[in-house]
Amino acid sequence: MRSRTLAGFASLLRAELADLFQYRIEMFLYGLWQVVNPIIYLVIWSTVVGSGDIAGYDRDDFVLYYLVFMAVSHLTLAIEVYTMAPSIQTGRLSPHMLRPLHPFWRAGALNIAYKAVNLMFLVPIWIGLALILRPAFDPDWLGIALFLPSMVMAASISFLIGSCFAMFAFWTTRSMSFWDIWMSLTLLLGGQVAPVAVLPGVLQQAAVILPMRYTVGFPIEVALGRVQGAELAAGLAIQAGWTVAAMAAFVVLWRAGVKRYGAVGA
Amino acid sequence: MSADVRVRHLVKHYEVADREGGLRASLRSVVRRRHRSVRAVDDITFDVEPGEIVGFLGPNGAGKTTALKLLSGLLHPTAGEATVLDFTPWERRREFLSQITLIMGQRQQLYWDLPALDTFLVNKAVFGLEDAAYREAVDLLVGLLELEEILTKPVRQLSLGERMKAELAAGLLHRPRVLFLDEPTIGLDVTMQQRIRDFVTRYNATTGATILLTSHYMADVKALAERVIVIDHGKLLYDGPLTGLIDRYAPHKTITLHLERPVDRADVAAYGEVVSADDVQVSVRTDKAQAASVTARMLAELPVADLSVEDPPLEYVIDQVFHRRAS
Repeated sequence: MRSRTLAGFASLLRAELADLFQYRIEMFLYGLWQVVNPIIYLVIWSTVVGSGDIAGYDRDDFVLYYLVFMAVSHLTLAIEVYTMAPSIQTGRLSPHMLRPLHPFWRAGALNIAYKAVNLMFLVPIWIGLALILRPAFDPDWLGIALFLPSMVMAASISFLIGSCFAMFAFWTTRSMSFWDIWMSLTLLLGGQVAPVAVLPGVLQQAAVILPMRYTVGFPIEVALGRVQGAELAAGLAIQAGWTVAAMAAFVVLWRAGVKRYGAVGA
Repeated sequence: MSADVRVRHLVKHYEVADREGGLRASLRSVVRRRHRSVRAVDDITFDVEPGEIVGFLGPNGAGKTTALKLLSGLLHPTAGEATVLDFTPWERRREFLSQITLIMGQRQQLYWDLPALDTFLVNKAVFGLEDAAYREAVDLLVGLLELEEILTKPVRQLSLGERMKAELAAGLLHRPRVLFLDEPTIGLDVTMQQRIRDFVTRYNATTGATILLTSHYMADVKALAERVIVIDHGKLLYDGPLTGLIDRYAPHKTITLHLERPVDRADVAAYGEVVSADDVQVSVRTDKAQAASVTARMLAELPVADLSVEDPPLEYVIDQVFHRRAS
């Protein structure tokens, strides 16, 4: 990667951070909203599981799972359908296309800046909840070590798939509807509404192959030592495969889409 | 020397959805969508030489902005060829984008909530400007555009004119060799329009940049461009000097007389078409070739206190161009 690209990316990141700091209250409210869903799931599963367990998850496991989920779901959030897609439709992408740096980097800078600014509000909430709920935790050090690469891949897949859906805006003004379908599938198969291990057989098999689990659920499972040995290695390999596939899909869609830029109202 | 901008048979068609109003049409469009093709740019060919300033004229929807977007690499053409500085614009090569700019009066690159300086710093990094070159460019632009007070205020607190000046500066930091300016003075007051015009002239003189600009304000075109390209419905109607446009489409002069005393309108009509007349001021339109002899006759035969001979206003000329095409 050329140093000019990196310098350009770094300066975009600085500007996006500075820009987002102007919207502190809005960011705080978005951040708060992101905590609400996992708390609902946590309360439901804690109640359902009682003093027993479901697919190897007891109450503490569910609490731990959803505490880590709060962090992972935030750090792997894709906002491109709300940022890139409208700019394609309204023509606000043009200034970014006129710079000698692919608009991809600006989208990446915005994605990272958004998450970084929100962390200011979310980290104290996460710590507060962990201190209140105090789940028993037996650390799996290999899992904790592999959590970071798995998280980075999860965030990359999510960003790239989000960007692919945003690219639909080159063809249609309704890219958001496609994204909603994707999000519904992720809710079910990504380990959001329940850990993948809790899902019925067929759904579990589908989740292992499809990309949704690798954007949220898998890094949580890695961090908590829920996947081990060959299953862990296979999971990381599948995750790496989806990262490459999502990148390839983005490149193909961008190249085809940019030829149509201006066709849908820009 | 080869042309900075070379356009050959450039065509851009858009597919747009087309349906009538009303609920029935709405329901029908659920099942079957109707599309029609809009020929925004329809087979245009021209060259622009290094250092030239060319005015792009045409009514709304004529294809001016589409042409500029094609030449700056934002749009892919339906057919035809173009090169800008020997690059094919829509390949969007880094070396190409580093040497051009497209500044649109109605689109902005500045961060809304941050001072313009923050956008400048992004452009400095993205265009790979060295510290010295950046400082030199900022100094030049601050001087030419009187930006001192503006750069450290959040963009949202700037007036429209101040914002346009900051936009221009942000788009020119990398010293582009080719400038595409789309309505750079739109919505600005007369003083600010004049400032932007002066700036463009001085920038061209200082840097030798090639400039292609569109404007609704004829004063912009008159002040900046010796050569104009007129397009309508995507087709090129005229390409040449501004004076040639006037000769071709409005080959007459307007003679305005201030009379010592009122005269009969019929007496004045003998010299040409009376455009306006009140007590002692009369304007007569006459054939350009005969303007000198008609003027001499008027001076000899009428009680003239003062007299002026002018080319028709550019607005009128343009109106004639499109009127003739329509009929």
